[in-house]
Amino acid sequence: MTANAMSLNLCLMSILLAPFAAAGLALIQQGLGRSRSAAHSMLCSLCALSTAAIIFVLVGSSWMGFAGGAAHGLHLAGRMIDWLGAEPFFASGIGSSLLAGPYRALVLAYGIFAAGLAALIPINSGSDRWRLAAVAAASALLAAILFPLFGHWVWGDGWLAQLGPLFGLPGFTDLGGAAGIQVLGGLCALSVAWIVGPRQGKYTEGMAAAIPGHNIVQVLFGCMLALIGWIGLESATSILFYGAGAGQIALTLINAVLAAASGCLAAVLTTRLRYRKPDASLSANGWIAGLVAGSAGCARLTPADTILIALVAGTLVTFLVETLELRLLIDDPGGAISVHLGAGLWGMLAYGLFASSGASRGALLLAQLVGAATLLGLLFPLIHISHRLLNRLIPFRVDADGDWQGMDIRELGAGAYPEFVLHADEFTPR
Amino acid sequence: MSLFGYLLLLSGWLLGLASLFLLAGVGQRLIFVAAGLAVELLGLGLITYRYRALQRGPK
Repeated sequence: MTANAMSLNLCLMSILLAPFAAAGLALIQQGLGRSRSAAHSMLCSLCALSTAAIIFVLVGSSWMGFAGGAAHGLHLAGRMIDWLGAEPFFASGIGSSLLAGPYRALVLAYGIFAAGLAALIPINSGSDRWRLAAVAAASALLAAILFPLFGHWVWGDGWLAQLGPLFGLPGFTDLGGAAGIQVLGGLCALSVAWIVGPRQGKYTEGMAAAIPGHNIVQVLFGCMLALIGWIGLESATSILFYGAGAGQIALTLINAVLAAASGCLAAVLTTRLRYRKPDASLSANGWIAGLVAGSAGCARLTPADTILIALVAGTLVTFLVETLELRLLIDDPGGAISVHLGAGLWGMLAYGLFASSGASRGALLLAQLVGAATLLGLLFPLIHISHRLLNRLIPFRVDADGDWQGMDIRELGAGAYPEFVLHADEFTPR
Repeated sequence: MSLFGYLLLLSGWLLGLASLFLLAGVGQRLIFVAAGLAVELLGLGLITYRYRALQRGPK
């Protein structure tokens, strides 16, 4: 088997594993929400994936483009800034492009799952009160504009990937989607949490009430599924956009397992020390936080570095969840902001601190900081303003009765567990 | 206050970007990009403060 054929097979297999990440995240957010919104949460995940897939193929893939493809350029201070892909809309010509090779089709297939996964993340923070129509609209926005824009800059030979030729720096690196999928999704999650506000009964007189998830077994099973999907997604990103070979893919696999394990153990230990008993939902968050942080440098960092990065991520996430909930009054039922945004940003910067390449440590860190600054300073205002406009067209939050009744009855007309569940506050006077 | 927060976010990014165009040394650029990030965090802090005040309601 030639190197190219082996790389193609590996890439195909990796992309085929990616849906497990979506399944894992869907189970996690469903389990961490309330039982009266369980079916709604799963349907939101399916609708987000469906909308993202269709809109990405129709519109987003054109703007994301691919390395060596057509792109829009902007002349600035004598430099050509490549800022947007210019491939044909509706993925037209994809059939004929197969004659030249499968690369364009593979990037399209990868983009479908990556955009879908990014669209799933905010569902977690809007759990129990974010309406289905608004979820679909926000997913369409993400797959049409937000993901392709940043995806082109990082993976389509855009200006962040071209920091070397443009400014004499190493290119911004995102080997497994820590920035392009996780941080982007985390920023959307923060924006959604701010717009929909906290669940009814979460804060009374400034005090936060605990609203525990309804099925922690599903959450933990979701973590295991997510690991398989993460390995696929990280491998596919590394092969498609960074030319990783079989050896680097084996390293990716090792690093993914180590990252999840270290993140989870760090969260178990931290919660054991802080609360006297390990907290299962925070430990699940630690598992995913380890994966997220480790994905930034998955195919290049050493296993020892990955363990260290994931240990920090797993510890950090337990403090972030508490800070957001208790101090900043942000009701994020699944911890999506802490896990995907917090751990993702840490992973991006950690790549600059730990990676070894020809460039100096300062230059590597600078490139990663430019990427982080772009996500926070340019994409977050774009995300939040577009979400606020969308909220005027399609209100994000369900009405007060729906909040109490649960999203299953309110939006779907039937509960997920009609025979087994009595809500504790069902018979209390309102 | 939110608008000012958004403007700070954007200004921080522009500060970092401008340093890439105008400065040559890695150290100088690193300082300016880090300063830009600090401005962005200030903007994010302002938006968060506004949200928190809205959640707490009038005293």
